[in-house]
Amino acid sequence: MEALINRLEALLAENSIFTLQTLSYYGEGLSTTVQLVFISLLIGLVAAVPLAIGRGSKRRFIKWPIFAYTYVFRGTPLLIQLYLIYYGVVFVDGIQETWLWVLLKEPFVPALVAFTLNTAAYTTEIFHGAIKATPKGEIEAARAYGMSPALTLRRIVLPSAFRRALPAYGNEVIFMLHASAIASVVTIMDLTGAARFVYARFYAPFDAFLFVAAIYLCLTFAILYLFRYLEKKLLAHLQPMT
Amino acid sequence: MAATPIPLEVRNIKKRFGDTEVLKGLSLHAHKGDVITMIGASGSGKSTFLRCMNLLEQPDEGDLIVHGEEVRFKTTKRGREPADWKQVVRMRARLSMVFQSFNLWAHMTLLENIIEAPIYVLGKPKKDAIEHANALLERVGLSHRADAYPAQMSGGQQQRGAIARALAMDPEVMLFDEPTSALDPELVGDVLKVMHDLADEGRTMIVVTHEMGFARDVSSQVIYLHQGLIEESGAPADVLGNPQSPRLKQFLAPKY
Amino acid sequence: MLDLHGYGPRLLEGAGVTITLALLALALAIVLGLITASAKMSRSWLAHRIATFYTTVIRGVPDLVLMMLLFFGGQIGVNVITDFLYYEFDIDIFININAFVAGVVTIGLIFGAYMGETFRGAFMAVDQGQVEAGKAYGMSDALVFRRIRFPLMMRHALPGLSNNWMVLLKTTALVSVIGLSDMVRVAAEASKATREPFVFMMTVAVIYLLIASVSEWIFARLQKRYNIGYGEAD
Repeated sequence: MEALINRLEALLAENSIFTLQTLSYYGEGLSTTVQLVFISLLIGLVAAVPLAIGRGSKRRFIKWPIFAYTYVFRGTPLLIQLYLIYYGVVFVDGIQETWLWVLLKEPFVPALVAFTLNTAAYTTEIFHGAIKATPKGEIEAARAYGMSPALTLRRIVLPSAFRRALPAYGNEVIFMLHASAIASVVTIMDLTGAARFVYARFYAPFDAFLFVAAIYLCLTFAILYLFRYLEKKLLAHLQPMT
Repeated sequence: MAATPIPLEVRNIKKRFGDTEVLKGLSLHAHKGDVITMIGASGSGKSTFLRCMNLLEQPDEGDLIVHGEEVRFKTTKRGREPADWKQVVRMRARLSMVFQSFNLWAHMTLLENIIEAPIYVLGKPKKDAIEHANALLERVGLSHRADAYPAQMSGGQQQRGAIARALAMDPEVMLFDEPTSALDPELVGDVLKVMHDLADEGRTMIVVTHEMGFARDVSSQVIYLHQGLIEESGAPADVLGNPQSPRLKQFLAPKY
Repeated sequence: MLDLHGYGPRLLEGAGVTITLALLALALAIVLGLITASAKMSRSWLAHRIATFYTTVIRGVPDLVLMMLLFFGGQIGVNVITDFLYYEFDIDIFININAFVAGVVTIGLIFGAYMGETFRGAFMAVDQGQVEAGKAYGMSDALVFRRIRFPLMMRHALPGLSNNWMVLLKTTALVSVIGLSDMVRVAAEASKATREPFVFMMTVAVIYLLIASVSEWIFARLQKRYNIGYGEAD
């Protein structure tokens, strides 16, 4: 370990920008980005399941509010949603005096809320589409064998819909990774934030942004391969045997 | 001791879709061991009639008595509906259906398809369900395909698998909705043979089909439906061998 | 009543910037998309490689990072070239990369990659027999493209095109970060000044939804036009 750090230091000594110091900014940025994206995706995913079921409900007072929510959040830029929640919270009268402020003064929480609401909206529509695409005959067979609607949903509709939704959800994960770059706009030191900092300090846009672009590219490929692997495992049933 | 109730009794079923009345009052008694075949041109209402028997379609009028238990209905603003869905679930578990397009669950292997409803609807222990399923797979000649997904099987295999799935419910009556119509001609034979065996062992079956050979050889009763009414009904030798109505004569006439 | 504290006209101007920027970027993206699609379908190994590299990199990096790279890096790049011209050839020019151009170019570049995929899929979906029929009647390659291949392709491309446009429209919000006064930036400034973020952000959100609805209507009409001879029957 010691030797490795020495080697790295020797290598870094040759250039003036990528010092251990700046690399540690990128490292922290990477960790922030991964946390932001992972937590918002996770909460968004959990929330999207009931929302997607409700979105397909026959009852208008369930269906319409969910549709309005996904329509607005998918139809407007994430940046606006972020501003709305970030400034919206900051400018609430008297909030600075409450205990909530401890949580909210850091831009991380408002950003997390905005990202979660956004990805939940997209994921809801993805699942809704996948649920709608369930072959009618499979649902009919479930009913014919005495399954209740709830059991049919749990055992037949959802498991097959999740598998069908996988490719679209993979795109959503990549989309969120890329969209998370705007966290830097509200002063969060995520990956892009680190790049902006390094750029401002050294006035070296190519080094700062190309390096971060390469990191994003690697992350994107990692996600891509993960989902390809999952698809191969979970979508095996759709492949006719050759 | 009271006599065992008859498995399925249907009285005066009527059903309309919009302005067209597709079932105009149909009745049927299935006693234990009966094999009732329903024939008729497409649009005669035979499939709808079958689907009314396990309430995949809601009949607008008429009674349904399964194993002596009459299904209760109520009238809502959407029309006539079963009053008690628990009762419907109980009744559907006694009648199991085999569909024209198999309708196996695509995300489950064949074995998983077969054990699904026994475990989650009948509450059977998983071990017993698997044991039973393996025996049924053996019967329909598909032991080697237990772990295959439906998309990996031929149509004939899928349909035999679907029959095994229906048998796994230990049904009192089996409903077959044109089980061979979606199959390539060379695959029809295997499926018919399985159905033939089931009839031989005394299963109660109601079969909608175009296979006249099956109707003639296997059934105890043949029903000819025309425009939502029973036009002729009786023993196969009478209905198929000596048709009375001109429409049935025309229906049975060789097409080539 | 909605009180915009006198920011109304500036918001409208900002909306104008958003729409102009989006339309110019769309035009650039369509051109780049067509080029990329042809490169990907061409027999040239090099063209294929370049196009694949372009679409892979663009789709693997966040829009904002690309935009900053182009905006901040582009100026330095241009300066290097103009300096070179000045010292070597005594040609004195100064090119200032402004945020608007950087915005159009970046967004156009990004969506050119997505359009490339859309067009490629659509060209592949065109019935080859109909193209052959055109050739068989003596039409030139150019004529076949203009009269047969392109209109047939558009039918398949329109849903993807419409989808790309909706995403592009929302991506324009990012130019506010590099200093361009689009409606998002105006709204952000107004929010800070008046401490009423809700009013301004909601107004801008409604404008976005409005533009999206109008676009949806236009695309539906286009789809109908290119669908002539298909559908309806079933």
